[in-house]
Amino acid sequence: MPESFKPDLSTVTGRIRFWSSLIILALIIFGIRLFYVQVIRYAHYKQAALNDQLKQYQIPATRGIIEAEDGSSDVPIVLNQKLYTLFADPPFIKHPYSVAQQLSKIIGGNPDSYLPALTAKNTQYSIIAYKLTGAQNQKITALNDPGLGTQGQDYRVYPDGSLAAQVLGFVNNQGVGEYGVEQALNPILSGKPGMLKAITDINGVPLAASKENTQIAPTPGSNVVLTLNLGIQQQVESILAKEYKATKSQELSAIVMDPYNGHIKAMANYPTYNPADYANVSNPKLFQNYAVDYPIEPGSVMKTLTTSAALNSGAITANESFYDPAHWVIDGFNIHDISIDGGAREQNIQSILALSLNTGATWMLMQMSHKGGTQINAHGIETWHNYMVQHFLLGQTTGIEQGYEASGYVPPANLNDPSINLRYANTAFGQGVSITAIQLISALSSVLNGGTYYKPTLIDKIISPSGKVSVNKPKVEERNVVSPWVGRELEPLMEGVVKAYLQGGFSFMNFPANYIVGGKTGTAQVAKPTGGYYSNIYNGTYIGFVGGDTPQYVIVVYNIKPNTPGYAGSYGGQPVFADIAHMLINEGYVTPKE
Amino acid sequence: MLNRISNTIFSSGRKSLASDGETLTSVRRHQPDHWLLIECLILLAIGLALIYSISPALADTTGVSGSYYIVRQVIAVALALVAFFITYKFPIAKWRAYYKWLLAAAALCTLIAIVLPVNPNYPAHRWVRFAGFSFESVELLIFALLVWFAHFLAVRIKNGTITNFTKTIRPILGVLLIIAGIVAIIQSDLGSTGVIVAMMGVMLFVAGIPLKRIMIIAAVIVGLVIISVIAFPYRLARIETFLHPTSNCQTTGYQACQAMIAVGSGGISGLGLGSGVQAYGYLPEADNDSIFAIYAEKFGFIGSIILLILFAGLFWRMAKISEGAPDDFSKLIVVGALVWMSTETLINIGAMIGLLPLKGITLPFISYGGTSVVFFAASLGLVYQVSCYTPRVSLKDLKRIRRRAASDDYSSYGRRIRGAYHSDLGGRG
Repeated sequence: MPESFKPDLSTVTGRIRFWSSLIILALIIFGIRLFYVQVIRYAHYKQAALNDQLKQYQIPATRGIIEAEDGSSDVPIVLNQKLYTLFADPPFIKHPYSVAQQLSKIIGGNPDSYLPALTAKNTQYSIIAYKLTGAQNQKITALNDPGLGTQGQDYRVYPDGSLAAQVLGFVNNQGVGEYGVEQALNPILSGKPGMLKAITDINGVPLAASKENTQIAPTPGSNVVLTLNLGIQQQVESILAKEYKATKSQELSAIVMDPYNGHIKAMANYPTYNPADYANVSNPKLFQNYAVDYPIEPGSVMKTLTTSAALNSGAITANESFYDPAHWVIDGFNIHDISIDGGAREQNIQSILALSLNTGATWMLMQMSHKGGTQINAHGIETWHNYMVQHFLLGQTTGIEQGYEASGYVPPANLNDPSINLRYANTAFGQGVSITAIQLISALSSVLNGGTYYKPTLIDKIISPSGKVSVNKPKVEERNVVSPWVGRELEPLMEGVVKAYLQGGFSFMNFPANYIVGGKTGTAQVAKPTGGYYSNIYNGTYIGFVGGDTPQYVIVVYNIKPNTPGYAGSYGGQPVFADIAHMLINEGYVTPKE
Repeated sequence: MLNRISNTIFSSGRKSLASDGETLTSVRRHQPDHWLLIECLILLAIGLALIYSISPALADTTGVSGSYYIVRQVIAVALALVAFFITYKFPIAKWRAYYKWLLAAAALCTLIAIVLPVNPNYPAHRWVRFAGFSFESVELLIFALLVWFAHFLAVRIKNGTITNFTKTIRPILGVLLIIAGIVAIIQSDLGSTGVIVAMMGVMLFVAGIPLKRIMIIAAVIVGLVIISVIAFPYRLARIETFLHPTSNCQTTGYQACQAMIAVGSGGISGLGLGSGVQAYGYLPEADNDSIFAIYAEKFGFIGSIILLILFAGLFWRMAKISEGAPDDFSKLIVVGALVWMSTETLINIGAMIGLLPLKGITLPFISYGGTSVVFFAASLGLVYQVSCYTPRVSLKDLKRIRRRAASDDYSSYGRRIRGAYHSDLGGRG
């Protein structure tokens, strides 16, 4: 109609055509605009659409469980349980009061407490309750209310409650392990989350298959079997709980180790907590595994290592005697014994350990400096330092599978230090040096097993999701820590300490004759943060072993700031060791002498 | 210049439009324009298919069952077809005779809508609700105004008072003021007010009001619009959004941006009927104001052009029917219906492609919502009836035929005209 584009506004038909032409013109403009938007700018709008519509989700991987030996089989001590978070889509809740009634019947609690979440404004996701069980979830799903939804999430469950809490650690609400094995082995336990990329509705619910959708399945985490013996662990924990009260301790830790492979049979701390309830623990110190993350000046337990070094270096022999002047003056300071039955007289290696002679330890350092002499020199300092750091691997982390392991401190053999002699005279009996319980037990185990330093470990085996078992073979860190005969000589010396205490009236140190039990107390001064030492606060430590023909378990006790009469080592550390040693013997964990 | 044109219009209007007293019943009736019905059915089918495909998505965001929307829309379309055949069969002269009843019904419905408590989700006094159905009063109002105004103008054309200020222009301004007060201010429905103004304005224009007077009325209307925009700041926000559609995508421009994303991401051939995403909560009013964007996402540029052609075809046929309408009243009815439908179509689609501001206007025959579909079908039914009385050949052909008939054998051409009537012929052949 060519005339419609030159409308004659003077006629009715012309005016109608004018108007209808305008409409058609507008539609043509719309068509051009559509060409621009849908064809020319397609890529731009497609991208804008995907930015809104395509969402990426992590599909959580199932975390590996943790097992430990119980008798002859491995039993789980950390499991997963799917618990459900209940949420409301408030606009869809038509009758909040009746829904609240139904929920309180299923979950319990006051119906009114659910109303705020059910009637929340301006949201399509308000959380009503956490950690509902599968049964509760089924009942809620059966309500078939479009305004209610549940989301499953794996939670850690602990069949044995607080057992080995600090060793295990916990899994935080982001699914990341914190403290203990959960932290150290997080990559192995957690697996690899999968990914889902999908076109979703505005609430993020994926729509049916689209070519933009991609999915990568998650890889579940591996299961971990610990070296812990649950029977020993349980007993040690109840012993610690009892002795914690008896010794008015601030913190009590103990480790039981197999010296021939570095396996930790028990590792416990008291006070403790329940990892299932970690969120309600107000004091984060409860999460700490003191046995690996709390280095202290160990006190006289150090004499066992100094003795081993002196024996192995040839500075002393096991049955050597010497004149103890009761005090040495080094760099102008007195080193003297703390033993009440000290005094200047003839002493021997056995009595150095049994009476815990600080002068004796200093004397051993003198022998390492120059055999037969009574001076500390560079050679002695360097020899001692070399044994502690290169042989016993002190001052560095052991690599045990725990979070936050501490490295401790061995003062460097800095010969320019004007008080280096005094400093080393002290380190020889365990002052001015800091080590963790795990470092001490690993070092002494290497002496007692004949000179092999095994990396201490909590991991017995790792079982992959496909069922492949990788046994964690004992890892030798250091092969010739000391010669095999050093352990055989140290053993009776430490047994002598136990016998001396028994004779001294410590009746609990009486062990059956067909077992060997040896040990060494430590009463360590506690350094003030401002320098110097507290005059009345001590840590009580103990390192010992129990066995039959050979030492089978090495035991370390760290009793932090106990409040006991007498020496903290004798009265705070020793009874804990004795309880554990008696328990191991009585429960049949130790094979007696042939 | 203006005067000369208006005078011409005035005289030719009197000459070309049938005299007021004539009724269509006296004209020989022929087959209606079937294309009108076919195009209407195609559009209704497209609407049903769209609502069916997004029904689950809509239900997802509102919590009703998946079939809720499609069931209601099927009922609405059935009612629309009933309305279409009522207005088609019921003689147009009777509609004209009963215009007062229509106005009264519209006034009553509007009053009820204003008095009834509002639904908190849609806080506007626009709906009459009963038995689970809601009825948008303004649709009946527009339909009643269409019939009344066609009558009003036809009477004044006949009396020769169409340009008289007291008899014609002043009452129109009065009615517009009342409508602005009720629809624009009380019901906050500026979109429908615009449709009414456009409909009445174009009917006036076609009836032969001189352009100068139309300009005066237009100036008054522009003034009213400016006042209402100032009085209701949310409209200002809509206009700002329109001027900068993508600058406030998270707030005021959200719907406009999401509509553009839906349209643009449809590309050339679209995602397919079952595959759109934007209806899943991204694009507000997906079933209603935004349905063109949902269509464009699913059917792409090709589908969008086809839809535009369908509408263009419908409008073009309506324009042709109005040209051939046998009397002033029916001609104005068809023009009014055309303006009503086309204005809503243009405003609706224009908003979806970023050319016009969002107005809350439905897309005729496609959008979800019973009232809109029923009254568009009803007005199209009237047009369908008028199409029974149009000449089957063009005016130019008729003149040629008449010339040849005068000089040649008249009767043989008369058969070819098949009784088609037009007042230009000066009587029945």
